[in-house]
Order: sequence, then C-alpha cells, then structure tokens
Amino acid sequence: DSHVQYERIGADVTMKCGSMDWDAAVTWTANGTDIDESHLNGSYLILKNVDLTQSGQYACYEGSSWHLKYQTYLRVGTPPREPVLMCRSNNYPKGFYCSWHLPTPTYIPNTFNISVIHGTKEMVCEKDAVPKNRCHIRYLQLFSTVKYKVTLTVTNALGKNFTTLTFDEFAIVKPDPPESVVAKPVPNNPRRLEVSWQNPSSWPDPESFPLKFFLRYRPLILDQWQHVELSDGTSHTITDAYAGKEYIIQVAAKDNDIGTWSDWSVAVHATPWTEEPKHLTTEAQITETTSASTSSFMAPPTTKICDKGAVVGSGAVAVCWTAGLVVAAYSVLFI
Amino acid sequence: MAGADSPSAALRRRDLCARGIRLAGKMRSDVVDLLDTYVERQGLDASASVAAVEGVPPAAVERWDEQTGTQRLLENLAAYRAFRALLAQMLEEQQEQLGEADAALGRALAAVLLQVSAFAYHLEELLRLESRGPPSEEGDGPPPRPQGLFEQKLRGLGVLRELAQWAVRSARDLRQLAKPGPGAGSAPSPAESP
Repeated sequence: DSHVQYERIGADVTMKCGSMDWDAAVTWTANGTDIDESHLNGSYLILKNVDLTQSGQYACYEGSSWHLKYQTYLRVGTPPREPVLMCRSNNYPKGFYCSWHLPTPTYIPNTFNISVIHGTKEMVCEKDAVPKNRCHIRYLQLFSTVKYKVTLTVTNALGKNFTTLTFDEFAIVKPDPPESVVAKPVPNNPRRLEVSWQNPSSWPDPESFPLKFFLRYRPLILDQWQHVELSDGTSHTITDAYAGKEYIIQVAAKDNDIGTWSDWSVAVHATPWTEEPKHLTTEAQITETTSASTSSFMAPPTTKICDKGAVVGSGAVAVCWTAGLVVAAYSVLFI
Repeated sequence: MAGADSPSAALRRRDLCARGIRLAGKMRSDVVDLLDTYVERQGLDASASVAAVEGVPPAAVERWDEQTGTQRLLENLAAYRAFRALLAQMLEEQQEQLGEADAALGRALAAVLLQVSAFAYHLEELLRLESRGPPSEEGDGPPPRPQGLFEQKLRGLGVLRELAQWAVRSARDLRQLAKPGPGAGSAPSPAESP
C-alpha cells in the first residue's frame, strides 16, 4: 500500500522490496518505467546522491508473478533554512500582521507555526486565508512599553528552523501609501501643479491618528527630487515647476507621532498649464476656423475651389460664388 | 451639566484640546531627547528592560477606544500629577548625585517638569468644563523614594519611558475629546470606519 518517503538532496537511498528476501528476484519501476538492474543490490534499490529529478513513484514487483510487493512515493527535498519574518501595523491602532517566507524552497511540504508573546501573555495570531503565510493580531493593549516577541517555526519531514522578532508597539507602525493621487495643471499658471490624495483606506481612524505626508516631485528629464513635508491636509500646490515640463509626483504617509514612512504611492504624471500658441494673420485665422469645422466633411476652403478652375467669364465666377455659399452654409451647421 | 454644552464651553474645550495636543507633542519630543541624555549621563544601557516601577503610572491601556471622555481626562490627570511628583524627586536626586557637574541634565529635567505641570493644568481646566471638576490632591503623598543610587537611576529610566508613551497617548486622547459629536462626558461616539 501507498507510502511517502522524504529524503535530502544528495542522500543515498536504499529501498527494500517490502518483506521480500534480499536474494529474491524483483523488478523495480520508477514512475512506471523499469529500472535497470545496475541500480539493484539484490532486491534492494540503491539510489545514490539523489536529486530532485528522482522524486516520483517507485514500485517493486515480484519477479515471475508480477505481484506488487511494495510502493512508495519518493520526495527529494531539503530541511528548511531560517525563515524570513516581517511584522507591520498598517491599521494602527487596530492591530498588526506578520508575514513570512522561506529564502530558498524545500521542495517538500512545510508547516509554519507562529507564536506571539507580549510580556507574559501569549496572543493568538489568526492565519489569513489569503495570502497564505500571513497572520493578523488585534491589539489588546495600547501604548504599552512592553515588547512583543514573535517566533516563527517552520517544520518539514527533513528538519526544522525558526526565527524571532522582537519589537515594541510603535516601531512597526507603517501605513500603506496614500491612495488616489491626482495631479492637475492650474489654468493660467505655468509653474503650478495641484496635487491631491487620500488617506490609505486601511488606516482606520485618521481623525484620532492623523497622518502626515511627504511629497516628492521632479521633471522627467531630471534625476533630482524636490521634497515637501506636510503636517496636515491631503493636497498641496507645487509652485516652482518648470514651465512645460512633464513631472512625476509621489506621496508617502506616516503617522504623525510614531512609526515609519509608508512606501511611495503610485507615481502620477502631470505637466503645468501652457499657453496656446497664437495665430500669425487674421485672414489665415478665419480660413482656419472654417476649414476646422468643415475639413472632415468637405473639400478645403472656398479659395481652392475657385482657384482650380481659372476664372473664365461670369459663369465660372458664379460657380465659385455658389460653392462658397454652400461651404458657408455647411460650416454654420457644424459650428 | 449646566453650561457644559454651551457654544462657549465647546469652543473653550476645542481650544484647550488643540493647545494640549501641541503641548503633548512638544513634551514627547523633549522627553525622547531627555531619555537619550539621561541614559548616557547615568551610565545606563538604553535597551535595559525596566520592570513596572512602583508609583510610575503605566500608559498601557486595554479597550482604549471604548473610554469615555471623562475617563480619559481623569486617567491622564492622575498620571501627570504622579509624573509631576516623580520628576520633582528625580530633580532632587540628580542635584544630590551630580550637583552642578551636570547642570544641563538638571535644566532639561526642570523643563520637562514644567511641561508636565502645564499639561496637568490643561487637564484640570478640561475637567472643570465637564462640570465635574478635577479630583482633589489631598491625601496624595509623594511617591516612595527608591533606596540606592542604581535603583534611583532605573526608576528615572522607567519614569521617562512611560512619560514618553503617555505623551503619545495624551495627544490621541485629546483628539478623541476634540471630535465633534456627543459631549465629552457622555458615551463614546459611534464606531469608526470599518
């Protein structure tokens, strides 16, 4: 019957064919394929220095009858390295979460166990369904000077490892970045950009736990950022932008009193308002406006129609004039 | 509660809260600086874990969000009155120990003591607006003095650490108080955002 066997990469593995004697005649298969006799020592299967490719289903059959005598699923892997653990409160003062991962894969199933101790009290960190490898805890006490000690143990069939994190309530506070950052030009102001944003939605109580913000901006063509720290409000007007240059802008948030700055928000781009270029002659302006309204529907302006046919006699002039009227009539319709 | 909800009382409360919040911010910043100096001058280890010291009001609180305005004010006031007495003792101890050799530390302690007294006053005023008035201080004896120089230094460390936490908590408490809604003395305002 079925069986799973875990072995370390590089190990030498000996598989016995169930209760069969050493000198019995047997055939071994790996994932259904016969294994060459050179790997056998009597009825034992010898795998030296196993690697990941050798994971699979191994079966042993009695020589003549082809009865299945033994079956196992070999999984080659490694014991766990020290896990990487991180804890953070992005929803202060409600609680905090811890998340973890292994620096290198083990290739076999691992279980994680997390313990959180506050002083003498053991707290329960509730595992999240999504993402896995994450759990959250509600604060039972606030403003405590007593540190939290979080220990994460990872175990698999080949070994175990652990890591510990010790921190105080304030140190792990790090909000999510501000949301809905919008940057707009200011009409008639070639050096201004109006930036506004919102508190991260994960921050539960911005009134009692106000955030302060850090704005950074630079024109795309330069590497140097300008910085502005704002102790309140969720908007700011940049007044020293270079005219006509496209800017990249980001905002970060931090609790007013404790913790660290959030990551930078998604970057937004904006260019300050610039004046429209003026037309050169008034006549050209008029033709341009009429052609602008009619160009998609009609031939170019009146003048061209008249130019085509050389004006020969009064008949041609009449045609020209009529065409002009028609164009004018259409223009009025489309303006 | 006569007059407690009058417009002028509400304005005064908001004003006291705003000033108190600013004072708490400055106090925290000064205490944090003082902590660094204190640790250095007293030859202590900054990472030393100080068990809860007798007489030092812990800032830690459960169900903080469920407290009423009056509760917040009373707990804050009790704490800052205790800190006032503790800091006064620390100042005496420091003068006995180091005397004139470390006038700077003495001045820094005195400055924080002044801020603590000012903050206690703000709290008393806010309680008067509640028509409750602050509780009397009679019968509040001075805190017990630790025996031994090292114990005094450790207590000093504990005092400053808790005071730094309290300064953060007080700013939050005052912001809760300053929130518009039912009067500070009544039940807490309805739950916040999900």
